[in-house]
Amino acid sequence: MVKTNLLIATATILIGGSVFAQAPAAPPPPGAPGGSVDLSVKQRPVLTPAEMTNQAKEYFKGMGDVLKRIQTLQDQAKREKDIIRLNCVTDKLVQARVNVNIAEQSMATMQESIARSDEGEETHEFTRLTIVNQKVTVLGAEAENCIGEDLSFVGATRVDVEVDPNIPQYDPTQPGSPFIDITRPPEASPLN
Amino acid sequence: MNRRLALSIALGALLAGRVALAQEDVTIGYQGLPYKSSGESNTGIQVADGVLLHSGVGVEAGYDSNVFYADQNPEGSSLIRVMPFLDLSNATRNGPAAKTLTFDIRGGLLYRHYFSDAQDIQPYNNAYNPNAGISLSLGGGQVGFGIADVFARIEDPPYQGRMGAGVLERNNNQASAEVRWSPGGGRLTATLRFTNMVDVYSAAYSYANAMTNTLMLDASWKWLPKTAVFVNVQQGYVFYFNDQVLLTNPGTGMTMGKSSSYPLFATAGLRGLLTERTSAVLTLGYVNAFYSDGTSTNGFLGSTYADLAFTVRPSQLSRFVIGARHSFLNSVISNFAYNDTVYASYVQQLAGRLALDLSGRYAHLDFQGNFVDPTQVGRVDNFVQVGATLDYFMRNWAYIGVGYSLLDNSSNTANDSYVKHQVFARVGVTY
Repeated sequence: MVKTNLLIATATILIGGSVFAQAPAAPPPPGAPGGSVDLSVKQRPVLTPAEMTNQAKEYFKGMGDVLKRIQTLQDQAKREKDIIRLNCVTDKLVQARVNVNIAEQSMATMQESIARSDEGEETHEFTRLTIVNQKVTVLGAEAENCIGEDLSFVGATRVDVEVDPNIPQYDPTQPGSPFIDITRPPEASPLN
Repeated sequence: MNRRLALSIALGALLAGRVALAQEDVTIGYQGLPYKSSGESNTGIQVADGVLLHSGVGVEAGYDSNVFYADQNPEGSSLIRVMPFLDLSNATRNGPAAKTLTFDIRGGLLYRHYFSDAQDIQPYNNAYNPNAGISLSLGGGQVGFGIADVFARIEDPPYQGRMGAGVLERNNNQASAEVRWSPGGGRLTATLRFTNMVDVYSAAYSYANAMTNTLMLDASWKWLPKTAVFVNVQQGYVFYFNDQVLLTNPGTGMTMGKSSSYPLFATAGLRGLLTERTSAVLTLGYVNAFYSDGTSTNGFLGSTYADLAFTVRPSQLSRFVIGARHSFLNSVISNFAYNDTVYASYVQQLAGRLALDLSGRYAHLDFQGNFVDPTQVGRVDNFVQVGATLDYFMRNWAYIGVGYSLLDNSSNTANDSYVKHQVFARVGVTY
C-alpha cells in the first residue's frame, strides 16, 4: 500500500504539480536513521478532503468549459460544411466526453472514500481526476487546432455560368402570340 | 414555358397602320405613346402583395395632312389625341411576383379631336377608341395554360370625305386559349392554340362582319438553348355573318361579295438565335385559302408562305430588325390579297433617357377573288408606311417627345391612292 501511494504521489507531482501548489514537505519522523531519505512521506501532497473536493469541482468547471468550447467548434464546422474539420473536432469531443465520464466516476468514488476516511483511495481518485483534467485540457487545445478545408481541401465543385447580356431573356423559339388586327381596311368602293 | 399571351394593344397607334410582327415585340409604323421608360422603369403602385398597378396618360398634338385619305385635294387639320390607360398585373417592380401564375389586365382609351372648322371634317371631329385586354397564364413546369382576350375599336373619317358616308368604325375582339407542353428537359415543346376573332364594321363595311376561328399546333425542337426548328400547322375558318353573293355580273358570270374560307398554313423552319446578337425566323411552307366561292390562292407562289426576319442587337440598347414575308391575307374588299412585304425597324436607347424608334415597311397587295365593287377588279396597291418617334424621359415616369407618321398608298384603281403625313409633339406621364 505504501508503495502504491508512493507511485501515485510521484505521478501526481510530475504530472499535476503545476496545477496546484505543493504543500511543504513534512518533517522527518522522530527516530529515523540520520542521512536516510523517506520519499514516500516527503513528496506526497498534503490536501485536506475538503480541499480535494473543492479542487475537483474546479476541475469539473474547467472541463465543462472545454466541452462547451469543443461543441461550439463542432457547430461552427457544421455550419461551414467543413467535413474535415468537423470529423477532427467530433473526435476530440468524443474523447473529452469519455474523460469527463471517467472524472465523474472518480469524483463519486473520491467522495465515498472521504466519507469512509480512506485516505489512500481518496488520494488515488483525486490523482485520477487531476490526470483526466489534464487530458481534457489537452483535447480542448487539439480541437482548437483542428484544420479544415481551407488548408487541405480545394472546396466543393462550383459552376459559374456567365450569360452574355446581349442574349435576349425571352425565349425566341416560341411561336409568336396572336396579335389583334386593327388596321384601317382599304377603301371598299368609291360608291360607298 | 411560362409565357403569357401578349396583349397586343397599340395604345395610341390604332390609327397609324401599326402592324405587329410575329417575332418578338416588333411593331412597324408610328409607335404609340410609350408605356414605360426605355430604361429600368421601377414604376408602378404596389396595390397589394404581388399586384402592381401601372397608370398613365399621354397627350399628342399635331397636324394631319390628309384627314380623308384623299387622292386629290387633301384636307388637313390640326388634332389632339389623349390616351389614358390602366394596367394591373401580378408583378412587383423587380419583376414577376410568381412564376406559375401570371395575369395582366389592361384598359385604355384613345380620344381624338380635329380642330378644323371645315364642314366636311366637323362630323368626324371627335372619336373615341377604347381598348382592353386580359391575359392569364398558369403553369411553369411541363404543362402550361394560357387564356387571353383583347378588344379594340377604331373610329376614323371615311375615305374621300364623302358627305353622309358615315364614320369608318371597326370593332375587333380576339380571344385565345392555349396549352403548352414541354416534356423532359424542355427540348421538345408543343403548343396548341385556339383563337377566335370577331370583326364588326360600321355600315359601309358591315358586309364584311366576320368571325375567324383558328386552331394552331406548333411543335419545336431546341438543339440549342435558344434555337429551335419547328413545324406549325394552322387551320382557320372565316365565316362572314352576311355570307352571300352581293352581285353577279351577267356578262361574265363573275360573282361579287364575300365568301367564307378555310385558310390552311403548314409551315416549318427555324426560330431563335443564330449568334448571341443575332436571331432569326426562317419559315417556309404551304398555304391555301380554300374560299368557298370564287378564286382561291393558287399556283406555286400563291401556295407558298415564306417569312424571313433577322434581328440584330449591336448593343444592349439598340436593335435592328429586317424582314420579308410572302403570304396572303383575307381582304375586306375582295376574297384575299397576295401580300409581299419588306420591313425594317431600328430602336436605339441612350442612357435610359432617350428612345429613338424608326421603322418602315413596303407592302405589295395584289387583290384576288370575288370583289365587293366590280370597278376594283384587278386592284393592286403599293403601300409604304414609315414611323419615327423620339422620346426623352425627364424622369422615369414623365416624358416629352416628337413623332412622325407617313402612310402612302399607290393604287392602280381610281381614287384609292393617298399620301398622309402626321406630325406630333407629345408629352405624358406613366407610372
